[in-house]
This record gives sequence, C-alpha cells and structure tokens, in this order.
Amino acid sequence: MMDKFGIVDASNLDPNFKYAISNQLGGENIKRCFQCGTCVASCPIWEIDERFNPRKIIRMALLGMREEVLSSDFIWLCSKCYACYERCPQDVKITELMGAIASIAEREGKEGNVVIKSKKPIFDKAFTNSIRKYGRNFEMKTIINGVLATKGIKGLLSYTSDGFTILKKGKLGLRPEKVKEMSQIEGIFKALEEK
Amino acid sequence: MNFAYYPGCYLHASAREYDMSTMAVCKVLGIGLSELEDWNCCGALEASNPLTLSLSARNLVIAKKEGLDVLVPCSICFNNLSRANSAIREGGIAKTVINEAIGESYQGEVEVRHLLDVIVNDIGLEKLSKEVKVPLKGLKSVPYYGCLTIRPSKVSKFDDPDTPRSLDDMIKALGADCLPFKHKKDCCGGNLLMSSEEFSLKMTGDILSEAKELGADCVTVACPLCHAMLDYQQSKIESKYDIAIDLPILYFTQLIGLALGLGEKELGLDKNFVSTIKLRRE
Ligand code: SF4
Ligand code: SF4
Repeated sequence: MMDKFGIVDASNLDPNFKYAISNQLGGENIKRCFQCGTCVASCPIWEIDERFNPRKIIRMALLGMREEVLSSDFIWLCSKCYACYERCPQDVKITELMGAIASIAEREGKEGNVVIKSKKPIFDKAFTNSIRKYGRNFEMKTIINGVLATKGIKGLLSYTSDGFTILKKGKLGLRPEKVKEMSQIEGIFKALEEK
Repeated sequence: MNFAYYPGCYLHASAREYDMSTMAVCKVLGIGLSELEDWNCCGALEASNPLTLSLSARNLVIAKKEGLDVLVPCSICFNNLSRANSAIREGGIAKTVINEAIGESYQGEVEVRHLLDVIVNDIGLEKLSKEVKVPLKGLKSVPYYGCLTIRPSKVSKFDDPDTPRSLDDMIKALGADCLPFKHKKDCCGGNLLMSSEEFSLKMTGDILSEAKELGADCVTVACPLCHAMLDYQQSKIESKYDIAIDLPILYFTQLIGLALGLGEKELGLDKNFVSTIKLRRE
C-alpha cells in the first residue's frame, strides 16, 4: 500500500495501466507529469494528511501499480478544489485525472477486481440514480438513501431534528421535480454505458 | 439584458434562499431571467466526467435553441456547464463523446455566465452602488470564493485565481467593510463529507475560525455547497471543536438585497440556518 511505498515489486506492475487512464475522459494528460510536486504543495488534503499525495498517486499509476492505486482510499479524498490543476506547469489536469482514476476503480470494484472501502461511491450512486430516474436530483431522497447506505439507520435517525427544521424552512421538496423529456436523459446514460 | 436562467437542483431545494434572492435582485437590477425550459441536473460533483459533461451539454443545447446565454448562480453548476462548453470548443475526443451521448452537434454557441460575473462586470459596480437604498455602513464581511467560482481560471474566466476581487469589490460597493481574508480561496471540503467527515469539518472549521477571529459580522458566499458547509454544518463544528461561532453566512445576492432595501421574506433570510436577524436593517 501507499504507506509502504518504496519497495516496488516489478513483477506485479501493469504497463498498460497508464493507457487505461489516458483513454478515460479526463485522464488524457497523465503522461505529461514530470513529478515536480507543485500539485502536492497546493493540495489542502495533503496539508491535513501527508499520505494523500497527488504526485505520488500519479507516479504509482505511471509505474503501473494498478491494484495499489485503484484500492487506495486516497483516490476518494480528492475534494475537486482545482488548486493543483490551476498551478500544474504541465497541464496534467489533475482534478479530472483523479476523477478518471476513480471511474476506473468504480468499474473494477463492480466487477469484483478491487475492494473499495470508501463510502463516497455509494453516495455518488444514490445521486446519479436520482438523475437517471428524474433528470434532477431529488435531494431529500438522495440524502436519505445516501445516509442510509453510508451511516445506517442510526445515522439517519440522528438527522431527525435537522430534518424537521429543514422541512419547516421549506428547503426540501417532498416531491421530485421531473424532466419532461426523460427519454433524452435515459439516452445519455445508455450511450455512455455502451462505451 | 436577458438570460436563460439555470437554477440547478440545489436552488430548487436546500438553497432556496439563493434562488429567491437571485430573482429579487435581478429584477431590481434589470437582469431578465427566464428559466431554462426542461433543464436537467448538471451531474454536480457526483457523476463521472463523461456523464457530467454530457448532462451539462444537454442544457446548453436547449439554451442555444432559445437563443440565450445561460446565467448560473451555483458555482458547481457553473463549473460543469462551463467545462462542457470548453470541452466542446476545444474539440477532440470529449466533443465527440458528448455530442454522441446527447445526439446533437453542439459547437459551443452559447456563453455560460456566473451571476457574480454578470452583476460585477456587466451591470457594473457603479450602477450597483447607485441602486443602494440602505448602505451597509459599519457591517463587516469577509468574502469567501472557495473553489469553483474562480477555478480552474481557464474555465471560469472572470476573476483572478490568485487574487480574486469580484466579491471584495461588490461588498465595498454596497457600503460594507470588506476584511482581508486569508481563507478566501481555500476549499470548504464539502465534497468530502461522505468520504471523510473529519477532513471536511476541519476545512470548514478553519475558514469559520478565521472569519470569527477577524470579527466579521457575516461571511459572503457564492456557492450552495460552501453555504451548506459554513451555515448548516456550523453547529456541528461548534460542538465538535467546542467553540462558539454564531456567524451568519449570506449568499452575495442576500447581501445585495439588504443594501437594495428588499424585504427579509423576499431574500429568504429566514431560511439560513444561522440566524441572520443581527444583519437585518429594517
Ligand atoms: S504539478 Fe503537474 S507535473 Fe508537477 S507533479 Fe503535479 S501533476 Fe506532475
Ligand atoms: S483537486 Fe484534489 S488533488 Fe488537486 S489539490 Fe484539490 S484535493 Fe488535492
């Protein structure tokens, strides 16, 4: 794993991993990275926990450490702040690159090839399910489903009093808003699934 | 000045006060808004790259048919719609993927504009200050830009990513004091709430602590996720770190509305979690 980084087992490297990433939308520029570390110095997550190191993740990916990268918790900790993206001298577009790696991890996770511990993809799924069903985020349902899946029934119950305040303030609709041309939304999901 | 108004999902739900204050302020400033017909979610921070860009582009195609540029108050939607537009304009593989997914041949014909950009740069601060009925004299605010309002600058375009000033200048134009704020362009960690609540509350906590130490009366924001973190999560941060903050968090449209003399109901000032009573001037 990442903390034991230092000794790389060359027989386990996947030389094609970098191409899998550069073929994923957002991952195109990975091979441009020349390891200057500017991204690290800009990263607010690295500031909190030095184990989250965007330069290192990119290096590991370039080396072909497929499993280590895809099962790493850190790929789910990118906040999408674009601080690194803004400063990278090689225009690696790191924020989009992290998204591309996460997409691959999610796919491999679904196929049972890697184990993902983070709860983030579960919440993301609840969110995109809502888009697929309504064309918009039905916030109340997404939150309930997302919290249930990530924190369980106890976690959900801890939101009860907040829930009443939110409803009283008229902030969350009880019914979903739905796009009229839902066939167009379904078309987008279908077209991208087939890729 | 007419725009296709893209509220996005948050402004129709948990950020209702941003929607209300946007419409109220635009009406006074002469910015015509007609809601984009049959708009869909942009994908927010949750959908994958191809899905986000394609969902966003569908909205741009509708705007093109309406012959209008798109006006967006939410910085997350703004980032997604702008990224889709940039990707299309750059051509390349992303353009093909997007156009195939939406079944169109969109070429990037419309402009995507952040509401803050339109108010500061199109309406202009001179006109804005002329419209002020109740100068916010003595009110101290810190401007909080966060991430997606100003980054990536190649996509958002309207402000300087290192020394942003649109919110600063706007606060001053309303007669309020704008305090120098070190955390103005730091991330609130909102996207990490599900993967690491600890990190996200720490990031927001640091922002709130500085604002509190400076003696600000409120924080001015331009993004519903920043707002949810600083406002809704504030009480959780107070109990987690055992500190008292009690700092109102206003959408910049609510701050403008106060200076224009608009009513508290119209601006949704009762919908913020941290009470805004101290700021009302009626
Ligand atoms: S800033 Fe860019 S070039 Fe430098 S290490 Fe990070 S990704 Fe690589
Ligand atoms: S976008 Fe992600 S990797 Fe880049 S600085 Fe922000 S949190 Fe770190």
